Amino acid sequence: MLEIRALSKSFGGVKATDNVSLDFADGSLTAVIGPNGAGKSTFFNLITGALRPDAGQILLNGVDMAGKTPPEIVRHGIGRAFQVASIFPSLTVEETMLAAVGADQRRAGVMRRRFPLAETRDRAEHAMELLGLAGKRNRTAATLSHGDQKLLDIALALVLEPKVLLLDEPTAGMGTEERWRMIDKVRELWEKQKITVVFIEHDMDIVFKIAPEIVVLCYGRILATGTPEAIRRNDAVIEAYLGSDDHAGAVA
Amino acid sequence: MDLDALASCLASPACLVTQTTSGLIIGMLLFLVAVGLTLIFGVLKVVNFSHGAFYMFGAYFAMTAYQLTGSFALAILAGAAGTAILGLIFERVFMSRVYGRDVLMQLLVCYAFVLIFDDVVRMIWGPEFKSMGMPAAFQVPPLFIAGGVVPPYYLLLIGVALAAAVVLGLGLARSRIGKVIRAAAQNPGMVSALGINTGLIYGGVFALGGMLAGLAGALAAPVRSLTPGMGFSVLIESFIVTVIGGMGSILGALIGALLIGLIRSFGSLGFPLFTEGLMYLFMVIVLVSRPTGLFGKEVA
Amino acid sequence: MTELQAGQGAQTLAPPRIDARPQRYRDVLIALVAFVVLALLPMMFGSKQLLDFVIRCAAYGLFATSLNLLVGYTGLISFGHGMFFGLGAYGFGLMMQKTGVPIPVAFVATLAITCVVAVVIGAICVRLKEIYFAFVTLAFQMLIHSTILSWQSLTGGDQGLRGGIPRPPFLGIDLSNHLHLYITSCALLVIGLLLMRQIAQSPFGYTLRMIRDNATRASFIGIDVWRAKLTIFVLAALFAATGGMIMALFVSGAYPEFAYWTISGEGIFINMLGGVTTFLGPMVGTVLLLILNDTVTRLTEYHGIVLGIVILFFAIGLRKGLMDFVVEWFAQRRGEGRG
Repeated sequence: MLEIRALSKSFGGVKATDNVSLDFADGSLTAVIGPNGAGKSTFFNLITGALRPDAGQILLNGVDMAGKTPPEIVRHGIGRAFQVASIFPSLTVEETMLAAVGADQRRAGVMRRRFPLAETRDRAEHAMELLGLAGKRNRTAATLSHGDQKLLDIALALVLEPKVLLLDEPTAGMGTEERWRMIDKVRELWEKQKITVVFIEHDMDIVFKIAPEIVVLCYGRILATGTPEAIRRNDAVIEAYLGSDDHAGAVA
Repeated sequence: MDLDALASCLASPACLVTQTTSGLIIGMLLFLVAVGLTLIFGVLKVVNFSHGAFYMFGAYFAMTAYQLTGSFALAILAGAAGTAILGLIFERVFMSRVYGRDVLMQLLVCYAFVLIFDDVVRMIWGPEFKSMGMPAAFQVPPLFIAGGVVPPYYLLLIGVALAAAVVLGLGLARSRIGKVIRAAAQNPGMVSALGINTGLIYGGVFALGGMLAGLAGALAAPVRSLTPGMGFSVLIESFIVTVIGGMGSILGALIGALLIGLIRSFGSLGFPLFTEGLMYLFMVIVLVSRPTGLFGKEVA
Repeated sequence: MTELQAGQGAQTLAPPRIDARPQRYRDVLIALVAFVVLALLPMMFGSKQLLDFVIRCAAYGLFATSLNLLVGYTGLISFGHGMFFGLGAYGFGLMMQKTGVPIPVAFVATLAITCVVAVVIGAICVRLKEIYFAFVTLAFQMLIHSTILSWQSLTGGDQGLRGGIPRPPFLGIDLSNHLHLYITSCALLVIGLLLMRQIAQSPFGYTLRMIRDNATRASFIGIDVWRAKLTIFVLAALFAATGGMIMALFVSGAYPEFAYWTISGEGIFINMLGGVTTFLGPMVGTVLLLILNDTVTRLTEYHGIVLGIVILFFAIGLRKGLMDFVVEWFAQRRGEGRG
C-alpha cells in the first residue's frame, strides 16, 4: 500500500504539488492525467526522491520515504521509468539487466565475484522475456529503436522486483499503433506481476480504456479521483479540460 | 611553523602594510589570470588547461619588447597584444576542434600545448632563469606607508589590474558585445540562431582571456623571474581561485584571488614551509562547505 | 537511426561476452602464460636494458591500468592519480629506510597508508562534477608534491630520498639482485592486472560502467553512486601505489618527480595512446610511451614538443587510442568476412 499524505512542493512560490493525499492499493493500476504543467512529473519526482518534498509523507507499507535518497527509495521497492528513456548507451540489453540485478544483489549481501549466477541470470531473463527484449539481448542500448529503449527502461525498473512501479509517460514520442502496443505491454506486466503500477499518460483513449483508476491533477492539486466513468462525468474535470481545450474532445 | 612571526607581524602596522601589499599584488596578478580562465569556462564550457602558458608568454614578450625598445608601455602592450593573438589562433586552429567532445580530449589538447609551449620558450629564450629588471621610471625610492615599505611599481600593478577588473565588469554588464557574451554563456544555440557568429565570439573570448593572462605576465615580468614552466604554478593557483570564487563568476574570481594572495603572503610568515598547503587547505574547506564556490551558481 | 544502421552498429561494437566463468579461467591462463614468457625472457636475452625496460613497464603499466579503471570504466577523469604513485614510492622508501621492517610488511603498510589517504581525498573529490574533479585531484597532487618538497628533513626535498633503499632478502628473494627484482616486478604486474581484470568484469565493474554511462539512472536502480565511485577511487589508488613501489625498488630511491602532476598527465596520455575501451589498452600505451620517451630523449632535448605533437595527432587526428583502432578494425574485418 502506497499512501501519500499532504505532500507539498513549491518552486519559488509556485506550488507544483499542493497538499496531495492519495492511496494506491496493492496491485492497483492507476493513470495520472492532467493538463501540461499540472505537476504530474513533479509528483513522480517527489515519490522517487529526485526532489525533496517541502512537507508531507510518502508511506510505503507504513514506512515514510519522504527525504530519503533515490537509491534508498528504490531499495524499499519503488521503481520508476522515465519520460525520455534513461538507459546505459554502451551496455548491451543483457549486460544492463545482469548489471542491474548484480548491483541489487551485492547490496543485499550476496557478494559473488562474477557473472553469471543462476539466480541473477533467471531474474534478468525473466525481465527480458516479459518486455520482449530477449531476442535483442546482444544489442547495445544505443542501437535499439526508440520503443525498445523505452521497454529497456521499464525492464530496468522491473528487474529489481519493485512493489510499486511508476511509469512516466511510457508512450511518449510514439505513433498511435506503437502506443497501443506499449500500453498493452504495461497492462500485461501489471496482470502478470501483480504489482502496483502508476503511469502518466496524455492519450485519453488509452487512459479510459485500460486504467481502472484515474487521478486528475491540475495546478498541483487533485481535481478528481475515481473510475473512468466517474471521471468522465465529473464536472470539475470537464471544466478543466474544456478550459485548456487540447484534450476536450477526448473527454467529451 | 612560526606562529610567533605571524603574531608579531599582525601586531606591527609596518609589517601589516608590507605583507598586505605583497598579498595584493599576488592576488591581482592571479585575478587577471583566473578571470580569463573563468570567462573562457563560462562561455566555451572548456577549462583552458594551457592558460598558464599565456601568462608565461606575456612575460617573455614583455621582456623582449622592453629589451628592444626600452619602453615599458610598449612592453606591456606587446605582452597583452601578443598573447591575444596567440589565444585567437590557439582557439580557432585547435580548441575549436574539440568542442562538444568529451572533457578528456579537451584536457589532452591543452596538455599537449603545455608541453609544446614550455619547450618553445626553452628554444627561443633558453632554459635558464631570466629577469626583465625594473623599468627606469620606477627605480625610485619606495614609499613608506605607516612604516611599511611599498614600491611605487606595486601601486601601478594593483592600479592597472583593478582598472582591468572594472572595465571588464562594466563591459560585460553594459556593452552590447558584453551582453552577447553573457547570452552565449547561457545559451550558445540561441545566439547562433539570432545570426550572431558564435565562432567569432568564442575566438574573441579566448583572445580576451589570453590577453588578460598576458597582461598579468607582462606586469609580473619586472618583479618575478622568468622561466619556462612558470605558467603552470600560476595555472594551478588561478584554478584554485576559480574553484573558490565559483566557476564563471568574475566577482568570485576577484574575491578568491585576493583571499589566496593574502593567504600566501601572511601564510609565508606563519607557515613558511606549508604556504602552498594552506592554499589547498582553504580550497578544500570552501569546496566541502560550498561545492560550487563562494559566488558560483549550479552549472547545468 | 534506421533498423539497418542499428543492426550494423551492433555488429561492429561486438559486445563483450558475459559468460564469465570460462573467461575467468581463460584470464588466469593468459596471465600464467604471460608470466612464464616474461620469466623466461632473461634466459633468452641477457640484455640488462631489456629487463630494465620491462620493470619500468610494470611500474607504469600498473599505474596506467589503474587509472583506466577511473577514466575508462567509471568516467572519472583524475588529473591527480600520480599522487598515489608518488605516495607508494615515498611511503615504501621511507618505511624501508627508517624502520627496517621486512619488505612484505613495508609493502602492506604502504598500501594501508595509501588506502587511508585515498579515502580522505576521494571522499572530498568524487562528489564533484567532472571538470572540478579533474582539477581538484590535480590540486591534491600538487599539495602532496609541495609537501614532499618542503618537508626536507623527512623526504630530502628536491633531492629526493637518497642513500638507497635497503632491500633485505626475505623468503629467499633478494630484491637487490637484478634478476630477483625483475621476476618480482613481473609477478606484481601480472597479479595486479589479473586483480584489476577481475574488478572490471565483476558486477561491480558493470556498476561502474553504468555510472559512467548514466549516473542518474544508476542511482534510480539503487546504486549508491558516491560509494561506488569512492570504492573504485581507493582501489585504483592501491594499484597505482604498487606501481610506485616497484619504481622505488627499481631506482632504489624516490624523487619528487614521481609525485609531480606530469606523472598523472602521462598516465592520461598513456590511456589515450593505448585506448580506454580495452582492458589491455593502457598496457599497450605504456610500452608505446616508454619506447617513445626513450627514443625522443635520445634524439632531442625538446621532447615536450615531440610528445605534444603525438598527443595532438591522437586527440585531434585519430580521435581514439591505438587499441580502440585495432579492435574496430578487427570487428570490421570480421563483419566483411561474414558479409
